[in-house]
Amino acid sequence: LHFESDSTAAAAAGLPQVSTSLGQDIPFCPMTPMTPVTPVTERSGIIPQLQNIVSTVNLGCPLNLKFIALQARNAEYNPKRFAAVIMRIRDPRTTALIFSSGKMVCTGAKSEEQSRLAARKYARVVQKLGFPARFLDFKIQNMVASCDVCFPIRLEGLVLTHQQFSSYEPELFPGLIYRMVKPRIVLLIFVSGKVVLTGAKDRAEIYEAFENIYPILRGFRKQ
Amino acid sequence: MSSAGIKCPSCGSSNVVDDVVYCQPQTVCVDCGSVVSEGVLCTSDRHVGCSDVSYSRSAAPDKTPCVNLVKGLQRVRTLCLILRVRGDIEDLSQTYFNQVYQHKTFINVSLQKKEILAGCSVLISCRLLNWPITMGTITYLLDADPTMVGPVYKEMIKILNIQSPVFNFTDVMESHSQEYKLNSPHVPEEYHENSRDLSKRAVDLAELAADSWIVTGRKPLPIMMAAIYLAWQSLKPTRTRLKISLDKFCHIAKVNKHKPAVKRISEIKEVLCKLGKEIPWVREAVTADNVLHHVEDILKYRYVLLKRALRSHEEALQAEVQDSGGEPLNTGTAPDSVDLPGVSNQEVSVAKTAQDNGDNKSVFELDSNKGTQDGRDPEPNWGKRVLFSPPCVSNAKKMKVDVGEFKDVTGDEEISDSEIDSYIRTPLETQNLALAHKHFSSLKNEKS
Repeated sequence: LHFESDSTAAAAAGLPQVSTSLGQDIPFCPMTPMTPVTPVTERSGIIPQLQNIVSTVNLGCPLNLKFIALQARNAEYNPKRFAAVIMRIRDPRTTALIFSSGKMVCTGAKSEEQSRLAARKYARVVQKLGFPARFLDFKIQNMVASCDVCFPIRLEGLVLTHQQFSSYEPELFPGLIYRMVKPRIVLLIFVSGKVVLTGAKDRAEIYEAFENIYPILRGFRKQ
Repeated sequence: MSSAGIKCPSCGSSNVVDDVVYCQPQTVCVDCGSVVSEGVLCTSDRHVGCSDVSYSRSAAPDKTPCVNLVKGLQRVRTLCLILRVRGDIEDLSQTYFNQVYQHKTFINVSLQKKEILAGCSVLISCRLLNWPITMGTITYLLDADPTMVGPVYKEMIKILNIQSPVFNFTDVMESHSQEYKLNSPHVPEEYHENSRDLSKRAVDLAELAADSWIVTGRKPLPIMMAAIYLAWQSLKPTRTRLKISLDKFCHIAKVNKHKPAVKRISEIKEVLCKLGKEIPWVREAVTADNVLHHVEDILKYRYVLLKRALRSHEEALQAEVQDSGGEPLNTGTAPDSVDLPGVSNQEVSVAKTAQDNGDNKSVFELDSNKGTQDGRDPEPNWGKRVLFSPPCVSNAKKMKVDVGEFKDVTGDEEISDSEIDSYIRTPLETQNLALAHKHFSSLKNEKS
């Protein structure tokens, strides 16, 4: 993430551009920002790393799973256990579930672009096997990220002050489950300071959720 | 279809058949066509005047309640009797059970789950009305699978739309310590212990464990067991008692041993050693073997010992850093506004609320801000630099870093044919595989 402005980002943000004598376009930034921005000192400086992306795509034609399992090297198919072919590719290292309706789920990628590339590769494999596969309605369904705030967290205290969002049952699970309302993200917060964020459809939701929780965790630590 | 034995009155033929084509059933002679007899004329609606609704679905008065619901309510009452809870808890648990039983999520589940539902109703009511009880106790009473109890409990909370009550295990400690039968006649005299003293000492040890990050995130029952075992040993640290292992202790006290308790015991002993080292009048080295002799003093003066331990740790770290020629650590947020009592502090026992845990928090944290403030990569194991940290941090396992996943990808790259071909079997491979499948399936058929 770059918080300094560069011309492309600024142009995208809708800031007016001013031409210099060298023909470069620099953004026109007034002294006071037009929209409120979180000061840099208050930001955490920690960026959650994406760990898993789940996406779906429609290949647009019915598939013969037995045939695919026979012809593809990287496929497994146990109809008694699960009604889909499980296919894996090495790069990006991902797994796909391919259903007879032609719908496919792709999991394990570490970024949205990797997920899309992987899904395209699976579609190409299915195409090469002789099916008229297409690539319709690719959609990211879930993103999981994790990070470390590097200080211990009193989960018993956090659940008391944020009771309406938190669930902490040490007899069931060692982490605190925090259901943030805006954005709608579920965070798993552990005593070690590690935080897992899930339920996002977009990367920005993950970052926003973490920036929301960080001051709570930080302020909580100093109480 | 011919009606046997009937003769046509007009021609005397015996070829008389039933004719049911028309709405009126008739017996007709095939030879002359005369009607021998006819049935009742009926309309197309066969049940005129009758309703189609079965009795069970009709508004029959006094519908009897479901047998399983009645049994479930009885089970709730039995559990409340066993636990000897107050009347209001029993009423509330019955209300909750009734409410959740009828809900669509639980109306069609197995009887086993319905029994767990009864247990969870009691658990939720106890928690809401401040009656200390653990989920483990309910699981044990129901003799249920612990992995099933959790989801049922969570689902119930969701359906009843109540806030999950917070569980404080120090409240449970007293009732839990009474389970340990250390005063019964079969136990030798030297192992006897007054249950009040035992639970008080165990509560103090458990609070110390909670302050030093041993409790957060962990299951409470093993910690309670560890605290009670160490309390029992430390109340009379004779050779005989110190030699008794946790296994033997559980056997004497007639309780089931929790395996993680062994680890908790060593963790609590480690904390006790760290504090025991700071006792000024103890000359010998404090180790895990002799620390139990000093537990009484450690618990009596624990806040002062904590402060001293943190100060010495801080000094040791400063010295280490200066020796290696680095910059001094930033300890800007070190304990500053914590109001710690003096050495002769009997009032220390006043500070036993959860809020006090918050005050003491700063005492337990050496705030090394280096990792986060200057934006560099945080230290891989900050836990090793502080005196007290959660064991999962100080004993962190080395994580395998997956290198090679950091390529910048646009998602629209060209996909090479050779790569895709590597995932597809050659015709020869496919043939061999098909043959192998056939062979195995024929073998299977022969066997069965």
